[in-house]
Amino acid sequence: MIELEIQILSHRREGLLVELGRAVAAGGFALLRQRVYQDEQGAWLVMVVRGEPEKQLGLEEVLATHDRVLSFEATLLAPGAVTQAAMSPASRAADVAASGSAPASIRHVGPDVHKVESMLPQLARDYPKIFPWLLALEHEVAAEAREASLLLAGRRTGIWVFKRDYEAGGKLGLADAIKRIAAPALRLLVAIDVRERHFHIQDCPLCPPGGHSGCKFFSGYLEGMLGASSAPQGVLVRNLHCRSNNGQGDCLLEVLH
Amino acid sequence: MPDHQHYNTLLVLLSYLISVLGSFAALQWAVVIPLAKTPRQRTAAVLAAGAAMGVGAIWAMHFIAMLACDMGMPVTYDPVLTALSAIIAFGACSLGLFIASSGAFSWAKLAAAGICMGLGVTGMHYLGMAAMMMAAYSTYDMNLVATSLLIAIVASIVALWLAFHLRGRVQMIGSALVMGLAVCGMHYTGMAAFDIDENGAQLPAGFAHGMRGDHLGVTIFVVSVALLATALVVHYKRQQRRAAITI
Repeated sequence: MIELEIQILSHRREGLLVELGRAVAAGGFALLRQRVYQDEQGAWLVMVVRGEPEKQLGLEEVLATHDRVLSFEATLLAPGAVTQAAMSPASRAADVAASGSAPASIRHVGPDVHKVESMLPQLARDYPKIFPWLLALEHEVAAEAREASLLLAGRRTGIWVFKRDYEAGGKLGLADAIKRIAAPALRLLVAIDVRERHFHIQDCPLCPPGGHSGCKFFSGYLEGMLGASSAPQGVLVRNLHCRSNNGQGDCLLEVLH
Repeated sequence: MPDHQHYNTLLVLLSYLISVLGSFAALQWAVVIPLAKTPRQRTAAVLAAGAAMGVGAIWAMHFIAMLACDMGMPVTYDPVLTALSAIIAFGACSLGLFIASSGAFSWAKLAAAGICMGLGVTGMHYLGMAAMMMAAYSTYDMNLVATSLLIAIVASIVALWLAFHLRGRVQMIGSALVMGLAVCGMHYTGMAAFDIDENGAQLPAGFAHGMRGDHLGVTIFVVSVALLATALVVHYKRQQRRAAITI
């Protein structure tokens, strides 16, 4: 078991603890302590949560794409550490002022929900010819929100395609869902080679060599689709390597659960 | 086939066609059973699928095939046993589809559902045969009877696997074609097991009040039109629903 301290910045305070408490529970973590306060940047929620180490990445993915999260920082706590959740807002502010590290310490920035939401109807209209829209989204959002925005767009698209084309039928195990649902659906978008839980995407148009990686869209797409279709919920997809930075012709994604 | 049975090829082909159509209509309902949000929706989908499969694919196919078969003597059907045979097919198919569609896929569940469906097909057939009234004694080759049961169960399992495990066109069309084979394969194997010996023109009691082929023809026509309408309506509704799903 590990304990994480998660500091989340949001637009507003109302319902923040309830919504993100649910997200934490859904991610397999137990909420130990929490504190909510407001400052000039927005509403802050500081939570200390406990759970299995292998679920940390999944929880961070959930928070990174949550529409209430503007940014967040997750810190692994040493046993007995004094946490921000136990500190008062005043002492936290003093701590931040002393270290001067509050803005720099933000590791994760959430998606640009507004821009993603406004692009999704166009994407649905032109599906599966969606890459011009995704490339436009990449350029429109701030650099630090690019990956989270692509992930969110991918998740929404994956869930939508599943409901539209693959929902009717029995609930499948993960291996069957990959074979019967995710692989044929993804083949409509890009050339792929599937080996068990590994998706090799060939010549991905979102990942030009030397450019930005667009693999987050496909990670989100597979997570949305497989999470909705297969019996074990909470599917996570991670990028093992990308055409944009490895010089090879393919990107490699791995499905975990 | 035994010497006393002579078949009209066109009606035999029609019997396969009606079993495929009935299976297709049933599967339109069956594949959405797992999506039901309330017990009431689930029950309605199970009963609709069971009715299309039991009454359409199995019962109507059986009696078209019986109309296709010339026994060389007048035949009528006991109305009570004929109705009971339809109820058995409906009940067994509903149960089989309920099992196959509940929870996550597993081979044990698939086998249980296939056995239910296979027993439903076979039970309907032999009860339908028992409803026959004619001036003859009937006998069965039990090896072929067992074979007919095996065909019904195995083909039902394959059809259910296709319906609940696959996606896309093969899911519905492939499953309906295989389910049609299950029903027809069972029926015609069962008919090969059936033999009659004339009993000296002694008609059974109730022969005159039994259902005749022309009565069955009208009933089957109504069932067939209902199946076709069901398949079309469900397909249209599904297209509408797909179009309404927002991203």
